[in-house]
Amino acid sequence: MTYNIFRKIGSGISLVVLMTFSFMANAQDYFVYVTAESEDEVALIKFDGKNATIEQTIPVGIWPAEIEGPHGINVSPDGKYWYLSLAHGNPYGTLYKYATATNEVVDTVRLGLFPASLQISKATGLLYCVNFDLHGDMVPSTVSVVDPEEMIEIDRIETGVMPHGSRISANGLYHYSVGMMSGELFEISTTKLKVNRKLNLDGKAEEEPAMGGMDHSKMDHSKMGHSMMTESAPMYHSATKPTWAMPHPTNGKVYVAGNGTNDIVEVDLEKWEVTNRFPAGKAPYNLDVSPDGKYLVATYKGSGETGIWDLKKGKELPRIKNTRMVTHGVTISPDSKYAFVSVEGIGGEPGTVDIIDIKNAKKITSIDMGKQAGGIIFWKME
Amino acid sequence: MKKIFILSFILFLSAGFLQAQDLTLKVNSDKVKMKIGQTVQLEAAVVDASGKTVTDREFIFYSRNSRALSVVDSTGFAKAIKHGDYDVIVISPGDPQLRSNISVSIKPAAISKVAFGEIPNKMYAGVNVPLTIDVMDEAGFERPEVPITLTTSDESKVAIAPFNKLIVKEAGKVTVTASAGGVSQNLDLEILENPIAQIQLTSDMVEGRSGDVFTLTAIAVDKDGNVIKDAPINYSFTGESFDVSAAPSGLITPEGKFVADEPGLYILNATCGPAAASVTVQANNRNITRKINLIGQGSVNNKHTSDLWIWEGVDGKDYAVTGTWGADGTAYFWDVTDPAGIQLVDSVKVDARTVNDVKVSEDGKVAVISREGASNRKNGLVIIDVSNPRDAKIISEFSENLTGGVHNVFIYKNHVYALSAGRKYYSINIEDPKNPKIVGEFELDTPGHAIHDVWVHDGIAYSSNWTDGVQLVDVGNGIAGGTPSNPVQFASYAYPSGSNHAAFPYKDEKTGKFYVILGDEEFPYGLDPSGRKPSRAAGFLHVIDFTDLKNPKEVAWFQVPFAGSHNFWIEDDILYAAFYNGGVRVVDLSGELLGDLNRQGREIAWIVPEDPDGYVPNAPFTWGAQPHKGHIFYSDWNSGLWSAKLEPVVPTNAKIDQAK
Repeated sequence: MTYNIFRKIGSGISLVVLMTFSFMANAQDYFVYVTAESEDEVALIKFDGKNATIEQTIPVGIWPAEIEGPHGINVSPDGKYWYLSLAHGNPYGTLYKYATATNEVVDTVRLGLFPASLQISKATGLLYCVNFDLHGDMVPSTVSVVDPEEMIEIDRIETGVMPHGSRISANGLYHYSVGMMSGELFEISTTKLKVNRKLNLDGKAEEEPAMGGMDHSKMDHSKMGHSMMTESAPMYHSATKPTWAMPHPTNGKVYVAGNGTNDIVEVDLEKWEVTNRFPAGKAPYNLDVSPDGKYLVATYKGSGETGIWDLKKGKELPRIKNTRMVTHGVTISPDSKYAFVSVEGIGGEPGTVDIIDIKNAKKITSIDMGKQAGGIIFWKME
Repeated sequence: MKKIFILSFILFLSAGFLQAQDLTLKVNSDKVKMKIGQTVQLEAAVVDASGKTVTDREFIFYSRNSRALSVVDSTGFAKAIKHGDYDVIVISPGDPQLRSNISVSIKPAAISKVAFGEIPNKMYAGVNVPLTIDVMDEAGFERPEVPITLTTSDESKVAIAPFNKLIVKEAGKVTVTASAGGVSQNLDLEILENPIAQIQLTSDMVEGRSGDVFTLTAIAVDKDGNVIKDAPINYSFTGESFDVSAAPSGLITPEGKFVADEPGLYILNATCGPAAASVTVQANNRNITRKINLIGQGSVNNKHTSDLWIWEGVDGKDYAVTGTWGADGTAYFWDVTDPAGIQLVDSVKVDARTVNDVKVSEDGKVAVISREGASNRKNGLVIIDVSNPRDAKIISEFSENLTGGVHNVFIYKNHVYALSAGRKYYSINIEDPKNPKIVGEFELDTPGHAIHDVWVHDGIAYSSNWTDGVQLVDVGNGIAGGTPSNPVQFASYAYPSGSNHAAFPYKDEKTGKFYVILGDEEFPYGLDPSGRKPSRAAGFLHVIDFTDLKNPKEVAWFQVPFAGSHNFWIEDDILYAAFYNGGVRVVDLSGELLGDLNRQGREIAWIVPEDPDGYVPNAPFTWGAQPHKGHIFYSDWNSGLWSAKLEPVVPTNAKIDQAK
């Protein structure tokens, strides 16, 4: 009898616990920060599993009548701060530090030309930001190293031409970025603040240098698929035109968006060589890997689509058409369920964030925001 | 057994946790003392709770002031460069990540030199002389913080006054000694008997208006009537304002030019030792204010409006083109023949978010608009056939070397001068507007140079380069042998704020003075966090006298309190300036310019475009202004295109005529 009572109580408790977990699962809210590059705004977006809302729109920069171009964005490992690169300046860009509790500016520091993607290493606590120098001369640029506690730029590490698309390994020890125009993958030691090694993704010998004097107008940064020869100065131009490097959390690979070759390039870190090239959609641009390591999500800037790759099978799931054209960034929730994809749009169109169920490769919802939605980063679940 | 295993596992985790928590980053605990040039190996180690060094930890060292104390990243090898107290941050990456500070004090080098600056060739008794004194140390650094002690060999001849000034009393030989940090320097002076018996002072005007420049001529003569050409004349003034509620004010220069801000009677003094003279002048009310009437508006209230250009079309009618900002890449074309009935007649939409600048060729046939925010990030410019502005047609798009965004453009004699990514400008031949061709470029080579605007007049390109100021470049004038394909810089002027955003040349035919007016752009108040309130700008217009191209001099300024300058235009001695939240300011530039033009009553009129139906309601933010055939046209960020008209100047004898 007593046994039965306890068993019933136990069953009841189990039921309550189950219901609580079930409720919690259903009540999960997800928050992402997204930049609007042509609006000088950052949107804080909440997704409740079904619908998305803009929780707050944060004007950024200081010049009301000049576009300062918020580009790269990331959140500190403890979730207390978010960091934003403003690409345009006179001429240098600026890194901003905001508190997530208030979305107010804490501090700023000036970086190089057109600072873009950025991330804090959990090993060093330092922030690494590529100076994209998108419209500068075709010369190697740098990765700025910033102490985010002091907001001091402590070093600049030279990498390739138009460094872009950087992410740090799960252990925080290695920073990966690509030289978009020199076609190289760079591995920086976050502790030694030096380039460990670089890999030419076009299969060229490393000593073949990129040349100066390139005309950017011959590049199409959204489609990236045609000749890069100028009238005045023929020069080396990467066929791969890599735009993003994403280290896998566990499998020892780095995935690179081959924006010019329409493929996802797999680089084995142990061998330090390209081990696979997966034909992908048109002009892959940004990448993210789900924290469980199962999926890679790629934005296809040229076709306005998102691709989801089952990494174990090496196969792409059915592509998802984005709400509008010029798909840009992607960030995945820590539970590996959802991909949040920013879509720039064209001209006066609003920017958009599409939220995608990764496993089922289905768009759940989308929400419009400021023009040219670009940099995007996951903040928290609650 | 299972429970024991779980307990053991928990204990293991706890131990690991405790161990992690007990790791400490040990660094030099005492302040590290260094001398300039010295190198020191800074110490850092991670130790566990027992004090044992953990061997596999790495370190990152950095100096908070690497120009004064250089520290090499992972090694902690520090080199002292400049005296002062500094911090070195030490980080040991890993789990846990550890941080600490090392304090470093770099001892100043010994003072090596005390040097006097330039002094007058002849020093006359009775004249005070300010000294400039530089103190340097052995490391080559200036040391302004080191106290200087001045002494004199003969107090009866030369006394020392505060702030390094000499009171020169009597003729004779005197040695003044400056001492700092144990180093002394002597200055041997020969004081001359002051020969000046009289100063003959005249003014070119006895009566003028506020804002008019009174030029003084002071001739010092000795007792025999001989002119002392090198007499050091000091000028000063006192005054009495006509308005009892206003204080007399003005400016007098070391060269003897006086301008009154406030109407009143002013006594202008010239002194040299015991000799003094004065003249009294009267500055009347400038009395140039005129009524300005709002005439019309072409409303744009669904997006921001940027720049404007007004021109007479090939059909003899008058037209305007306006750009849009942070929107959909539209440029609007207006018929403004009737300024009271501004009509939207066409629009052109391009792949951009901002059409920041719009310009039209001298013959009224071709417009050029700039692009920023193109979806493919190939910005550049767009050339439009505006022979018939009611049917504006795109002729060509051009983005070669201009992908970074064209913020401003100018058209001059079949060439477009287009900014590229805020770094330089290109000259682009558009004789065949379907096939524009880059023929030249101009870029500074200063570190961190940037550019905001270029304006071409009479074959001279005036580019506004922020901290590098205005650059005058010959692109066909001939003054320096320049051409569009070979731009040649021949003059420049920069000012400390580094806010140079726009420039406009102005030659005053009556005085022969050649000015370039430079406009700031500043937003020190930042953005409204809510994004819903009107913005406010700062900054003002600087008047630079370029009459002597090799020695340009800032002589005057025009400022509007709590507002900031943007684009402006000068025609017939009148300045039409957009001042963002301060609307349009119309300013009298006639005559020589000196001092604070606004305080002198040179503002003729102002008008602020307030629109309750604006993109942001009632939030004037005027972008640019342009006079055209007797009207003033101006674009406003929140409300579109406007027109206004100044009422005619009332003749000074009008009242007499009326009385008759």
